[in-house]
Amino acid sequence: MTIILFDGLIYASVLAVLCVGLSLTYKITSVPNFAHTSFAILGMYMALIMAKVLDVSVYLALPVAFAASGALALFMYYGIIRILQKKKSSLISLIIATLAFDMFMIGVLNIIADGIRNTYQVNSRDFTLRSLDIVIGGDGGLPLVFVVTLVLLAGLALGLYCLLYRTSFGMSLRGAIENESLAQTLGINTRTIFCFAWFLSGGLAGMAGVLMSMWFQGDPSLAAIMLPSIFAGSIVGGFSSVYGAILGGVLVGLSEVVGTSILIDLLGYWVIPYRPVIPFIAMIVTLLVLPGGLIQLITKYQKRKNMTMKKAEEEKEDRREEEDGVGA
Amino acid sequence: MALDPGIIFIGDLVAIFSVYLIINLSLNLEFGFGGVPNFGKVLAVAGGAFVMGTIPFMVFGMLVDYGALEPVDDNIMLVHQINAYIEAHPESVLGVFAITLIVAVAVGGLLGLASAYPAIRLRGDYLAITLLGFGEIIRIIGINHTSLVGGTLGISVPDMLAFVPNEYRFLTASFVLLAFAGVIYLLVARFTKSPVGRLLRATRDDDLALQTLGRDPVKIKFKVMMLAGMLGAVGGVMYASYVEGVVAFGYDRLNWTFLPFVMIIVGGMANNKGVLVGTFLFVAIRKLVIYYNDSLDGLLPFDIIWLDYLALGGLMILVLIFRPHGIIPERPQKTESLEKG
Repeated sequence: MTIILFDGLIYASVLAVLCVGLSLTYKITSVPNFAHTSFAILGMYMALIMAKVLDVSVYLALPVAFAASGALALFMYYGIIRILQKKKSSLISLIIATLAFDMFMIGVLNIIADGIRNTYQVNSRDFTLRSLDIVIGGDGGLPLVFVVTLVLLAGLALGLYCLLYRTSFGMSLRGAIENESLAQTLGINTRTIFCFAWFLSGGLAGMAGVLMSMWFQGDPSLAAIMLPSIFAGSIVGGFSSVYGAILGGVLVGLSEVVGTSILIDLLGYWVIPYRPVIPFIAMIVTLLVLPGGLIQLITKYQKRKNMTMKKAEEEKEDRREEEDGVGA
Repeated sequence: MALDPGIIFIGDLVAIFSVYLIINLSLNLEFGFGGVPNFGKVLAVAGGAFVMGTIPFMVFGMLVDYGALEPVDDNIMLVHQINAYIEAHPESVLGVFAITLIVAVAVGGLLGLASAYPAIRLRGDYLAITLLGFGEIIRIIGINHTSLVGGTLGISVPDMLAFVPNEYRFLTASFVLLAFAGVIYLLVARFTKSPVGRLLRATRDDDLALQTLGRDPVKIKFKVMMLAGMLGAVGGVMYASYVEGVVAFGYDRLNWTFLPFVMIIVGGMANNKGVLVGTFLFVAIRKLVIYYNDSLDGLLPFDIIWLDYLALGGLMILVLIFRPHGIIPERPQKTESLEKG
């Protein structure tokens, strides 16, 4: 049972971190980035290199992966997306470009994996770094990666809130997302802001990849396997909302792990390979029933609440006016 | 008699070219003309191939006494038995292949409809994501549902040309495939030149204008997805019957979704001649790369396959940036009244 709890929570948190990055870049560039998982796989190999080749603590890989994957995302934004947008390419061309970059990265990451294996005689496929992790409280205790993953997700939620709503930089960021040219006329350097957001998105994905390889397995093929889950998480959350992405990612991640284990009990072990179908169904159902995602539900509720409050106030005012009229 | 390597090279080139031509024409129909970004092209292709992996066994089951043999478990023995039957009764192939094609067309159409349904009313990017997901799901089912097409090991299918003498078998297959592709090319070319072709372009370019003229873009998109699904499934049947087998692992995103996209974008979208050029170019290049692959092996510290990913991905990005309209760009279609001035 605890294993399922660890599995579920770590996977859900990692997924949520990835979803946040995906939704962030989608909100800024309005291009769904099909190469987003390759940033995470790059992080995984940074972890492998740090732990097995350089022989240092695997936690040192977190900042390294953040920088490396962030730089890769920045390169993708500057070298491909920005150029195509300047050429007024259609949305579909942009999507194809991200798919093409994904293909390119599959090649690069596999070459890295082969290179590590052939040069350092380290297993670089389906590897796991779980045995290198520190377990708090001895055998059967709390693995550190579990704590770090949850802290990262919580810190991300809090940090993003502070950044977006409590700093002037965040205000510029939100303004630039809402209306780029209007923000530019107000003297906001939208280019720096977008670059920052892409770097952040890639860097977060890299860190998620490091954590992933410390509990589950790391392999280049995960890029294609995890992609539907991440998109499902973002879409269930509402795709253009960062907080929706956290919600959707956690939900999809938990339902994948816990749902599969329930189905194993009910139907038998043959269901295991069909696990990727769960996020897919979640995505389809969301698109059919609630295309705006969970966040739409929440904002609708808030709007209704505001509306009823406004209405009540208006009614009160009307009544007062009437009373005044009667009084006069 | 052993065939000359040069003839094998050309025969294989023609066959693979024909298969990709069918698939690319279908993708061009839905994406180039209709504007539906089908990133799950592999779905229809795999659907057709899976039909080829199941239906012939069922139909031959009515003609041949299988005994206790099962299509998946005793695959090789059964295929051997069926091939012997085909050699004795060549006329049976016509019926079986026709039934297989009809079922594949139906399956392809249904898959096109089902995969488009959840997101066709939403924006293009949602549709793209859903279709991509569908493409991944069919592979998972094919790999894990062993009774369908043999799971990870795959399955051999009866040789539809077993009655042709051995020395001609290979070239006959290429010729039959080319004939099929040629007929489909002519049909699609006629279709896209007709008013329906203009309707499709209109759906792609401005669905609001289309609505003001009383047409429903969603309905048109559904129809083109179904039609393209049907053609894609035919492509899948052709490929599976050419290689005489179905291995679910082979139906991946690179080969059956991404590569067709590269081919039609490089050749020129919404332009059947462009598809012809793009398809030939890439099939020839890939064939040559595979041909000279062995001489590179061992020189590099990694598997050569990954260079394929690097080259295709990199090339696609470069084409999108520097030549987004392809080798033969789309031309405005001249109608009779336009030509008269």
